[in-house]
Amino acid sequence: MKKVYIHPLPVRIWHWINALGFLILIATGVQIRYLDLVQVLSFRTAVNIHNWVGFVLIADFFLWLGYYLFTDKITVYLPEMNPKKYFEDAWRQIKFYGYGIFLGEENPHHPTIYHKFNPLQIMMYQIIMLLLLPILFGTGILLWDVERFSFLVNLLGGVRVVDTIHVLLFIVFTGFLIMHLYLITLGRTRSEHIKAMLTGYEEVSDKSSP
Amino acid sequence: MSFSGFQKSLLISGLLFLLVVLCGPVAHAADDASLSEDDVACQTCHDGKDQLVKKTEAGESLSLMISTKAFLASRHNDTSCTDCHEDLDEKTHGKVKVPMESKRAYRMSFQDSCTTCHKKNVAKYKDSVHAMMLSDGSDKAPTCSDCHNSHTQLDIKLLEPIADVPCANCHKDIYKAYVKDVHGLARAAKGKSAPICADCHQPHAIQAASLGSGIKDSCLTCHKDAAAKHEVWLPNSGRHFEAISCPVCHAPDAQRRVNLRMVNAVGGRQLMEKNGVPQFEQMTKAADGKDAGLSVAELRSFLKEFNLENVDNKAILSGRLEVRSGVNAHQLSEKSKALKDCKICHQAGAAPFQSVVLTMAGPDGRAMRHGVEKEVLNSFTAMGTMRGFYAIGSTRIKLLDYLLVLVVLGVLCVPAAHLTANYLFKGRREKLKAQRQAADAAAGKRG
Repeated sequence: MKKVYIHPLPVRIWHWINALGFLILIATGVQIRYLDLVQVLSFRTAVNIHNWVGFVLIADFFLWLGYYLFTDKITVYLPEMNPKKYFEDAWRQIKFYGYGIFLGEENPHHPTIYHKFNPLQIMMYQIIMLLLLPILFGTGILLWDVERFSFLVNLLGGVRVVDTIHVLLFIVFTGFLIMHLYLITLGRTRSEHIKAMLTGYEEVSDKSSP
Repeated sequence: MSFSGFQKSLLISGLLFLLVVLCGPVAHAADDASLSEDDVACQTCHDGKDQLVKKTEAGESLSLMISTKAFLASRHNDTSCTDCHEDLDEKTHGKVKVPMESKRAYRMSFQDSCTTCHKKNVAKYKDSVHAMMLSDGSDKAPTCSDCHNSHTQLDIKLLEPIADVPCANCHKDIYKAYVKDVHGLARAAKGKSAPICADCHQPHAIQAASLGSGIKDSCLTCHKDAAAKHEVWLPNSGRHFEAISCPVCHAPDAQRRVNLRMVNAVGGRQLMEKNGVPQFEQMTKAADGKDAGLSVAELRSFLKEFNLENVDNKAILSGRLEVRSGVNAHQLSEKSKALKDCKICHQAGAAPFQSVVLTMAGPDGRAMRHGVEKEVLNSFTAMGTMRGFYAIGSTRIKLLDYLLVLVVLGVLCVPAAHLTANYLFKGRREKLKAQRQAADAAAGKRG
């Protein structure tokens, strides 16, 4: 076994701020939307925390964006451009999670600092980071001060439409978080991926090629 | 400190002078006013011993007595009787009976007389809801002299008891609420520093309070720092100011409701029905099949029909939270009692969202309303019609709640199924692992 450095420090900082922030956003979001069911915080406190943490996460997003735009590590998000190879690789990964993992087979993807995501992760994270997260943040900013951004709010079809988009993405990210929390336990050991996100290093088989 | 005799008399003289300066002009004007010779002639009969009473054709009795004393103390003391009663014929007046249709018809005949001197105020009045009601044929809409007794009208600079406010003649219930609310109590205690009807409702240019945003602007005229003060503690305060009328929070005992105003799709101005084209009432009634308020589909169908008939003036809905009646709007409390608990509005089943009405301005300048089922506030399919109104929690779309539960349960099923499969494959996995280890060991020996 060898240790491979796959999570640079800025990425780890971004990730853990993001993780903590999202937990707070989901908790306060539930409190704001379901005041009749949950009353841990006052509505106003929940709204204020939700707003502030939202802005922290927007700043954190730019830390992530800046890091990948201005370093050569952006390759981790570049998909395989040959469709045939992409689908073959993706299918291999699906087969692993759907069957091979139960037989104790080795993960077909061997991460490096330049290619740390498997084909499914690349597709998923591109959609999340470049599409869903900006829409979530954008609608959040509009809802933070509806009057200030009334022109944009009206352009999008009104405050109810903007809120519905925000809530739909909240549902998507809540689902994503549950899946994410399970998938990170599917390393060689249950805690391997979590440790890697803390230390930056992941243990990879000697036999594996990048 | 002691005063000499001279200083004392100087102080008293000074105080007396001040008193004369302060009270002089008012007293002077009243004392000095006198009737012209012609007016004296009029008052010989109209303030004489015999009580002059005229019977109208409608059977009412109209007293023709004018108190000279009250007239001379009035704002009109420098006008002559014939300035307003210009059509009187000296030769026949009092000798030949002139028929009078009714008191109201007689009062209305004097509208033009007021215009002679009060052009600006009459012009304002002509744009008011009162004048619109009048032109719409109302027999209750006030004319000038319904509010202003031209023979006793005092200078507006003088403070009259609040009970003398003419608005109370028609708006009795609202006046009763006003005298008990924070403004009415302050007016009685502090005089002109506190508002009375016309201070908020604009004298003469009165518009229906439930339409437009004139009343909110009136509040902000005195409470200039209200926006800044709310911004300190109220998230999204700009939106709250836009979508909620002030009494919703500042009249804590009031009943509240959602008002869906029909506004122009371009520009957002409140739509007003044309005179003689009663679309609103007819179309809402036609759409409201069960007469129990418009359902989601009925509201959509009404708007579709309305917009088909008004292609150049299409309507969209602009929702706002407001109190249910004019009486409620005049139950304003002290600031410390105003509602500040977000829970009152921002949770499912909140009281203000249990009543919903659709509103359009009528041809007489007053609001026309039709009930709407409260379910439109939580319906996904009403998103198009209700797009401009949303209160977190209380008007949340139920379908999204079901979707959240479905997604969470669905996603939880994945690890549950995966872990189960992992457990079921345990035997086979360990067997394969043993085989792999044996193969590795064999390969090691060969190596």
